[in-house]
Formats: sequence, C-alpha cells, structure tokens
Amino acid sequence: MAKRATILKVSGLSRAFGPNTIFDKFNLEVRTGEAIALTGRNGAGKSTLLRCLVGADRPDDGSVEVCGNPMAETSPEIRRDVATVIDDLDFFPDLSVVEHLDLLARAHGIADPDEVVDEVLEEVQLVPQSGQLPGTLSSGQRRRLALATAFVRPRKLLILDEPEQRLDTEGVGWLAQRLKSERQKGLAIVFASHEPELVDSVATRVIQLGAPRG
Amino acid sequence: MSSLEAGADDFAFEQPPEPEPLTPASPRELKRLVKDWRAGRATRNVLQAMSDAYVAVFAAVMIGAMVVNVILKAQRTVAECTSPTCLSARALLPWTAFAATIAVALAVSRLFGPVLASAAEGFWLLDAPISRSQLLRSRLVGAIAAAFFGGAVIGGLIAALSGSGLTEVLVWAGATALSAAASVAFAAAQQGIERHRLTRFATYLFGVLAVGALFSVVGVAAGWFSLGISDNLGIELGVIMIAASVLVLLISAVLAGLRLGQIRRTRLLSGGALVSGISGAFYALDIGLARDIVVERRAIERGHVHPKRGKGLGLEALIWREWQRLWRFPQPLLVLAATIVVPYAADALGMSVLTPVLAALALFGATIPLLNGLRVLTRTGGLARCLPFSLARIKLASIAVPAILAGLWAAATTPAYLGFGDGAVERPVPQAALTAIATAAAGLLAAVRWTQAKGVDFGAPMVASQAGAFPPGLVTNLFRGFDVCIITTAPLLLGLSPWWSLGIAGIAAAILLNSMDAETLRARQAEQQKQLEAQRKARAGAAAAGKQRKR
Repeated sequence: MAKRATILKVSGLSRAFGPNTIFDKFNLEVRTGEAIALTGRNGAGKSTLLRCLVGADRPDDGSVEVCGNPMAETSPEIRRDVATVIDDLDFFPDLSVVEHLDLLARAHGIADPDEVVDEVLEEVQLVPQSGQLPGTLSSGQRRRLALATAFVRPRKLLILDEPEQRLDTEGVGWLAQRLKSERQKGLAIVFASHEPELVDSVATRVIQLGAPRG
Repeated sequence: MSSLEAGADDFAFEQPPEPEPLTPASPRELKRLVKDWRAGRATRNVLQAMSDAYVAVFAAVMIGAMVVNVILKAQRTVAECTSPTCLSARALLPWTAFAATIAVALAVSRLFGPVLASAAEGFWLLDAPISRSQLLRSRLVGAIAAAFFGGAVIGGLIAALSGSGLTEVLVWAGATALSAAASVAFAAAQQGIERHRLTRFATYLFGVLAVGALFSVVGVAAGWFSLGISDNLGIELGVIMIAASVLVLLISAVLAGLRLGQIRRTRLLSGGALVSGISGAFYALDIGLARDIVVERRAIERGHVHPKRGKGLGLEALIWREWQRLWRFPQPLLVLAATIVVPYAADALGMSVLTPVLAALALFGATIPLLNGLRVLTRTGGLARCLPFSLARIKLASIAVPAILAGLWAAATTPAYLGFGDGAVERPVPQAALTAIATAAAGLLAAVRWTQAKGVDFGAPMVASQAGAFPPGLVTNLFRGFDVCIITTAPLLLGLSPWWSLGIAGIAAAILLNSMDAETLRARQAEQQKQLEAQRKARAGAAAAGKQRKR
C-alpha cells in the first residue's frame, strides 16, 4: 500500500485579537484522502483558522505548508493546488455563471473545459441560471456557484468554510456525497461545519475548537 | 377528497364581525407626523447649528466670493477675444453644455428612478392604504427642481466662461436649466410606464450631439469650416430651446404626475437603495465602492446574457474574457472615443500648455470603466486566489486590453500635439507622438491606481484634527489617480522632454503593477520581524547557556 503524502502541515499556529487568544500552538497534518472537520460554537475560531490556512489572514506565530511549500497567498503554486470556498469570494458582475466556470477551468489549463463545466453546473443545479449574471442570483445560488468554482478546476487540497451555508436539505445531501467522493479519490479536505450530516459522512477526523457550550 | 380538504371541512371557526370602515390618514398627515417626530428629536435649530459651524460658513462664503470673482474676471478677459477660435467657442460651447446636461440628466434619472423611496418609506408608508402619487409628488418636484438649478449653474457658467454677454448668459442658463428639468420629467414619465428605451435613446443622442458640438469647436479653430453664426442668432436659438424645453417639461411633468401611482414599489426602492448605498460609500469617501454599486446595479438590470465560450488557456483566457466583457458592455468604448476630442479642443481653445494634463485626466476618467476586471480581482482577493497566477501577472493580464486601447488613443491624439489652434505649441512628429504616449500612460496608470484603491481602514491609527479624529486614508483616497496624472504630466507642463514623463510613468507602472503591494510588503516585514525575534531569542538562549557552562 502506497504511503499517503502530506498535503497540509500546520505547526504551532497562533492567532490572537488583542487579549483574546483564538488558537494557540495549533498543529495539524492532513494527508491525501483525509477530511478534517472543524467544529465548535460560533466564535470558536474555525473561520479564523481557515483564513490563516489559505493565507487570507496572517497568524501571529507558526507556519503552514502546502505540499512542502510554505503558505503564501500570492504563490501561483499554492493557488494551483488549493481550492478554497470562504466568505470573501467575489464575482465579475458582467460575466454569467457558466462563463465564470469556463474562465476558471481555462485559467487552470483545462484545454476543453465544456465537459467538466457542464457536469459541475448540472451537479450544483445551476443549468437554468447558466446565463444569469451573479447579481441576480439568490444567496443559495451564489453559494452553489462558489462551490462550483472549487470543483471545476484541478486541486489537491480543498478548504471550505461552512459549505452547507444557505444550501437546502437536498443541497447539503449532494455536498456530503460529493465531498465524500472527492476524499475517496485522494483529495485532502479541511472544512468547518455546523452540519452533523456533513461532518459524519465526510470527515475522517473531527477537531473541536474552543470550549464546548456549557 | 384530499386530507387537506377533509381537514378544512372539519375545522370549525367563528365568523368574525365585519370591521368598522376606518378612514386612512392622508399622505400629508403621515408626512407631517414623520416630520414632527424628526423635529422632536432635534437638539438644536438651524441657526444654532450654523453659529456652531461659523468657521465653515465663513469659509464657504469666502471661497464662493473668490470663485465668483475669478469667473467674472475670466469672463471679461475671454469676452475681449475676437479670434475665430474664441468666436466658435462662444457660439458652440453653450450648445455642448446644453446637450451634455440633457444627456447626464437623462442617464442619472434612469439610474436612480428618478422618483425613488427609501427602504423605510417603502415598508412603513408605501404599504399604507393611501394615494401613492400624493406621497411621491414632492419627490418628483424635488428631482425636477434639483435638475433645474444644476442645469442653470452649468449653462450659465459655460456661457460666461466662453465670453458671452449677460443676455446670452441668462438665455443659456435658462435654456440649460429648463432642458435638464424637462429631461428629468421625461424620464419620470417613462418610469411611470416602466419603459426606458426612449430615455436611453435620448441619452445617447444628446451625448453624441455634445461631442459633435465640441468637434465643431475644433473644426472651426483648425479652419476646416466656418459657422457664420451671429451673436443674435445664438440668442434666438437659445430662446427657441427655452420654449421647446418648457413644452417638453409641461407635458412630461403632467404625464409623470398622472403615472406616479403606477410605479411599482420595487422600482422605487431600488433607486432608494442605490442612493443609500452610494451615499454610504461617499460618507467614507470610498468612491470605488460607490462605482461598484452602480456597476452591480447595471448588471442586475441586464440580468441575463447569452453565454460565450472562452478562448485560450492560462492568462490568455483572462485577456480574452476582458475583450468579451467589453463587447458585452461597449458603452465605455464610446466614452473613450469621445475623449479623443479633448486634446484637440484644449489645443484649439488656446490651452496648449495644459493639453497633456487635461487629456490625461479625460483618459483617466474614461479608462476606469475599462478596468472592471482589475477592480474585481483586487478588491477582495477571493477571486484572484482561485487563479493559478501571481498577482502581478493577473494585473498585467487585466490591463492588457485597456493598454491596447490606450495605445490606439495615443495614436489618435498625436496630431493634437503637432500644434493645432491659434498660438498653439508646435512640436515635431516624434515629440508629438512621445507626448501622446506619455499622456496616455499617465491616464491609464492613474486609472489603475484608482481602481486598485482599497477602502479606508478605520482600524488604523487616526489623525487628530479640528473636526475630530479621522483615518489618514480618508483624505488620500480622494486624490488617488489624480496624483499619478499630475506627477506624470508635470514635465510636459514644464516644457521638459516627454522622456521625463515616460520615465516617471515607467516607475509608476513598476510600483502599481507589481505584486509588491502594500499588503504584501507589510506581510514580508512582519515575517522578517518574526525571524529577527527568533534569532534574537536563539542568541540570548545561547549566551545564557554559555554563561551557565562557564559557571
């Protein structure tokens, strides 16, 4: 059996806002085919940790390595390997849903992106909205488009912040199946979630952040 | 029978008594009530507020007096000029202002409504069983009045600054004011029946007329043709415009008034939401955000497009998408084409020395809408993170199309720098071409700087002032872009070689288009600080261990 490669290595990560320590000396190692679920009450630091992992926020101490490269948000290698869905995703106001996905696929070098774009569009149930501009989408549809941006491109590590947000029950079921299948194909996943169904069916390891509600 | 129907049959209820018919409040009563509440919360009256802000009032009066004095002086000086250029400007610039004011009034009216209501009014007042048209009438009157006064100022100012006499100034101020008011009333009448095609057509028509009038000024100055319009004819035409505007104003205002009750709440509230969003952005002096709101609103209005397949791979795909997006919303191209006239007009009007600065400023304004892609990719970082390129390469790809267009703009404006109107600065062809390129670079880079501007960081250390503490970025944000324009064209203004300007543009490009933005620099600085701290600790640890060994 081949040894699973380490995709994400977090060593001694600390972050504090003033006197409030969000996490201190946090360590984590994620290998291919592993899915780590971060759980915990609101304000426990899940989103802050994920923002530090993707380079959107700077930790006070510690290091993050992706496939052996130190994390730098501006590094093209990191951007190639890590697909993220966190709250700061923006859209071109004048590009349609399908054009966003086509652009991302082409930018990542997929020569004939139609097949993968159509497949993902079908999966996230945005086919009827494929020609719509993002400003006209509902919040749930925008979330689906954000998720689609992660699935339409090559990736080694998937980082998702509460991906179930604003999805309906059917959508959460689909997401759980999709993430499970991605993990089984060898993708490393780190996600924060409040949805037990998603955590139970996808995660190989659950990390509880912060003190449980007393 | 379904279970639901069976349940309905089984459900017993008591017929409620018919409610007593109530008399709803009139819109005037409701407005008075809201006004009373607002007045009740006020802690000082207008006079007290003005006496508190006496420094600001005094400064406004002083600056106002100085502005009026400057305008009067300029008017007297220009009025003495009798060259063909001055005469053509005097005859045609009021027409340019007239047509441009109508185009702007129509465009702004279509964007905001022009009749609009705030979200609170929509929730609390528009749902009440009252006459909506009575409630909204004051809004319509207010919009028309605002357009009237704005138009009067613009029309009067342009006529005065082109050297017209008092009668002409009054005629053109009246004509421009009434035409602006008529435009708003016309747009409101169209809003009542939810049709905007005519308003849009009229916007483009008057925009083209304005540019055409400006071209005519250039043509007369260059001696391509003569107009042969006497001063009296100008006044007579102005009076005819007044009569036509009054007619359109009256008919449109009556129609708009009759249709006020038909405007849907969603339409009224979207205009209100746009105003509140933009005013919020302006409150923080975040003009980029204000523009984002308008761009988003336009895209929502369009709603749906025919998707187009992309082309190329990697960065090429990004550049192709820029082209496609530009063809989808081509209005910025028209504006860019219209700005070609600016250096010619400035030269023709005898402002040869200022031509590069004015042209760069015009290109700066026209290029901002071409950089929507760069704006989206740099404002949050979320989308750029999805692309497998460094920020510097993303920026380069995003500005490739605008840079090509700026290059074409430079080629089209080169003849303007050869020496055009009376007493213009004459340059040999290579120098004129270099001047045009430097000017285009200044406009493009200024737009890049403006587009990449981040919102004001209210978490940063504040600066103390007489008006209270404020973040330093609040003021510098206002000058973003203008600074690049002025600094890059300063050598041309001082009569130095255009190579100086190109050198400055090169430095500006290296700073603006490199991924070494302020945030990255701060991150690197923090990282270096951390490493230094770690080395210091290690040295201190080694020293302590050495001391222990000696003991």
